Amino acid sequence: MNRTGPGRGAWRHLATAIRFALIEHGRNRFAMVLVAVFVPIWISLAHLVVTPGWVQIRLRATGEVLRAGGDELTQISGALNAATLIVGFMMFAATFASGDFDRRLTMAGYPRIHLLLAKVTALVLASLAVAAYATVVICLYWSPQRPWLLAVGMFCAAMTYGAFGVTLGALLKKEVEGMFTIVMISIIDLTVQNPIANPVADNRLTDYLPSYGAMQASTAAGFSSTVPFTDLALQLVWFTGAALLAFLVFDRRTRSALPAAPACASVTVG
Amino acid sequence: MEVCNVRHGYGRREVLCGVDLVLPPGALTGVVGENGAGKSTLLRILSGELRPDGGAVRHRGRLGYCPQQAVLNDAFTVRQHLEFFRTAYGLRNLCRAEELMDVLGLTAYAGVRTGVLSGGTRQKVNLTLALMHDPQVLLLDEPYQGFDWETYLRFWELVTRLREAGRAVLVVSHLAHDAERLDRLFHLRGGVLHEGAEARA
Repeated sequence: MNRTGPGRGAWRHLATAIRFALIEHGRNRFAMVLVAVFVPIWISLAHLVVTPGWVQIRLRATGEVLRAGGDELTQISGALNAATLIVGFMMFAATFASGDFDRRLTMAGYPRIHLLLAKVTALVLASLAVAAYATVVICLYWSPQRPWLLAVGMFCAAMTYGAFGVTLGALLKKEVEGMFTIVMISIIDLTVQNPIANPVADNRLTDYLPSYGAMQASTAAGFSSTVPFTDLALQLVWFTGAALLAFLVFDRRTRSALPAAPACASVTVG
Repeated sequence: MEVCNVRHGYGRREVLCGVDLVLPPGALTGVVGENGAGKSTLLRILSGELRPDGGAVRHRGRLGYCPQQAVLNDAFTVRQHLEFFRTAYGLRNLCRAEELMDVLGLTAYAGVRTGVLSGGTRQKVNLTLALMHDPQVLLLDEPYQGFDWETYLRFWELVTRLREAGRAVLVVSHLAHDAERLDRLFHLRGGVLHEGAEARA
């Protein structure tokens, strides 16, 4: 049987895994519809329904007191909510649906690191698309001070929730459990630190929420001239932690009890 | 492949109570047993999918495992499955996979997504993925589920050729009506394997 050499295999493994990860996400038409429809509807409803009156909020990242429109603040928290839910759902759905298949691939010799890097690539592209799209829709209604920072904040939050989605997809046995968990985490996370519900933001507990850094960066992007780099870094720490957890769970889920030695393999227990 | 004193249970229920088995090259071995006897558990352990509570499994060479339920990704076509596994197995081409598809009558479905295939056709893809790298040890868990009669006969012709080529083949089934095609038949009963006339009885 003709086989390729190990040296040339790494790039081929990675390129093939990325290609198929993108094909898989492309088949998730429901997620595409969610992105296309859910994001603008949410942002538009916030504009139409929430009072445009001014609200004073304290930006916890810098201590600044900012003056912001209620509808604009709601659009930011709503867009963050939409981005985290959609990307978290996309990654969960793909990981959950392909759980046994990924295991079969790794047992056939596919390096799991390449399968994971392919998931990360799909996650980056999905997060970029959703964050850019939500930022453009918000900019149709008003002009945030730093649109790029708004997009970066949403991108980082979406990446974090996407990593949550991979972890839950590899860990849970029922689809509804994962969907419910992602929705509940996002609701608790974003409701507690919503600037309108909590304008003083004087409780340190909010600092430990998964999208705290993204919320601070996005709010600063809308109404402040400062860039809260520390909070963005904190969001990256959340993503790194979530991605590491996803790697460990995926590794455990796809591990073979037999060592992958071509000449002789054995497992002995007890 | 050598299996020595493999034990496994789910909670307090012990399913395998010390299974010993040797799969020599060029031999077609069958394991039968009632529903819930532990056949799939045994195969999952032999394939490395499940770690046993005790005992040892040793094998040499490439392993091919066809699980009872077709493990496919419904988002991909049949050909995309083959391409993905070609990379996994490190194969230069898909010549053997194409031969297998031809034997199993799968070629016409190459461009079809597996999510819309019938149960029998999905099982053909499942089997092709297990055999396309020409494994030296084959573990087949009820591999002909959903096959029509003609494909069922072709399957046995294929397995017979693999045996003649020196492959060690293990076929698990809940029925013993293929006993005459096998070199050895075991009955999994009470968590242990019984061989020969006892198994056929």
